[in-house]
Amino acid sequence: MRSIVGLFVIIVILIIIPSIDYAFGQEEPGKYLDRRALIWNLFFRMMVVAFTIGAVVSGTLFWLCWRFRESNPKAVQTKYEQAGEW
Amino acid sequence: MAGHSTWPEWVYVGVVIALLVWVGAEAWEVERLVEHVPEGAEVIKVTGQQWFWTFEHEDGTKEIGELHVQAGKAYKFEVTAKDVNHSFNIPDYVVLMDAIPGRIHTVWFAPTEPGEHEIQCREYCGLIHYNMRGKLIVEEPLS
Repeated sequence: MRSIVGLFVIIVILIIIPSIDYAFGQEEPGKYLDRRALIWNLFFRMMVVAFTIGAVVSGTLFWLCWRFRESNPKAVQTKYEQAGEW
Repeated sequence: MAGHSTWPEWVYVGVVIALLVWVGAEAWEVERLVEHVPEGAEVIKVTGQQWFWTFEHEDGTKEIGELHVQAGKAYKFEVTAKDVNHSFNIPDYVVLMDAIPGRIHTVWFAPTEPGEHEIQCREYCGLIHYNMRGKLIVEEPLS
């Protein structure tokens, strides 16, 4: 339990507080903004996040399918399979 | 009782929440900045109708199918339509706003360099929608 709390504290300090601070701490823009730069930068940042998460998730799925396939030499039968029940 | 260690699940939950918060904060901040109209922005009334755009400057000057603006100046578009729904789009400057009869929607932009850019309708509005285009002409600043 303590480690979970510790983990959350780390996440909050590293990610959540800077995000909120960044969102609220911005001064009113005194100069004209280039909306092209803002919007495209946001798009590219979001794409980096999306592709990174996509790679991690799909990589995990590929690994799961490869590791736990029936023909894997390291595969271990479940207790039901060992008992011939399934 | 789960009967097994649950810390990887909590890590997963924490990472997902943190990512969602971060993505939300970034997008919200950019939206806030983009929607903030600077003081002194010149208002241009934009009216869409089948199948052309009309522009009216603050001094009353009207233009049809062409819009002349100056680089380095901010402009606030007040976008509306006369007949059916249209959408006012300047792709090069990422300006996109629905033009709806009876409503006025606002969007602002500040052109940076002189040049010519496409204006187009982005909402299917009838037979000649494909050719409901205009020209944005960004001129050198006067002063």
